[in-house]
Amino acid sequence: MSLYNRIIKKPWPYWVGGILLGIFNVILLTTTGQSWTITTGFLYFGAHILNIFGLQPSDWYYFRQNTWLLPGETFIRNYYTVLNLAVILGSLIAVLWASEFKWKKIKNKKQLFFGFLGGILMGYGTRLSFGCNIGAYFSAIPSFSLHGWVTAVFMLVGAWIGCKVLLKYIL
Amino acid sequence: MAEVRIDCMYETCPIPLLKALKQLEKMNIGDILILETDHSCAVTNIIEWAKKQQYNVDYTELNEGEWEIYIEKVK
Repeated sequence: MSLYNRIIKKPWPYWVGGILLGIFNVILLTTTGQSWTITTGFLYFGAHILNIFGLQPSDWYYFRQNTWLLPGETFIRNYYTVLNLAVILGSLIAVLWASEFKWKKIKNKKQLFFGFLGGILMGYGTRLSFGCNIGAYFSAIPSFSLHGWVTAVFMLVGAWIGCKVLLKYIL
Repeated sequence: MAEVRIDCMYETCPIPLLKALKQLEKMNIGDILILETDHSCAVTNIIEWAKKQQYNVDYTELNEGEWEIYIEKVK
C-alpha cells in the first residue's frame, strides 16, 4: 500500500487517533489554559443568533450563573468559535486530501425529523452536563474530574438504549 | 443465491451497520448483501463487524466518497 493510501486515504486505527487526540489536547491545554470542548461554542452561536434577533440571553439565569467566556470575549468572538472553526477546517482538509468530499443531502422527512429531535435532546443534554463527549468526557477524564467517568458510564448506557430503539422502532 | 441491495446514502453511524444487521438476519445462507454508503466510518465498522461474524466481505469505492460493501452470509 502506498504511503498516500496508508496515511491520507484509509481511516487510521482508533488507537492512533486516540493517542494523537490525547497529545493535541495536552498541547492545547498547556498553550491556551483550556482543554478541548465543542458544544459550549454551539451554545454561544445560538446565543449570538438570539442577540441578532433582539433577545438578550446574557440576562438569562443560565448565562448569569454560568460563563465560560474570558473578559473581552463575545458570544461570537471567543475561544470556542476558533476551536469549532478549526475542527471544520481540519475535517475539510482531510476529506479533500482523501478525495472523499461530497455534498450530503437530506434523505427523507423521517431523517430530518429525527435529526432535529436528536439535536434538541443532545443540545439540552450538553447544557445540563456542561459538555458533550469531548468537553464532559474526553477532556474531563484527563483533568481527573469525576464527572468524566460518570459521563462515560451513562454514555455507554445511552448508546446501548439508542441502538436498541433504533433497531426496533425506527429503522 | 439472492442479492439484496440496501441504500444507506446520507446516513451516519450506526444506521448503516444496524440496517445491515437487520437485513442479514432475514437472508439465507449464501445470499449476498450489497450496501451503498457515503459515510467512511460505516465502511470501517461494517467490515470490522462482518469479519468478526466470519462473513466474506469486500468493498469498493465507486465514486469519490461513495462506497459499496459486499457481504456474503456464509453461515
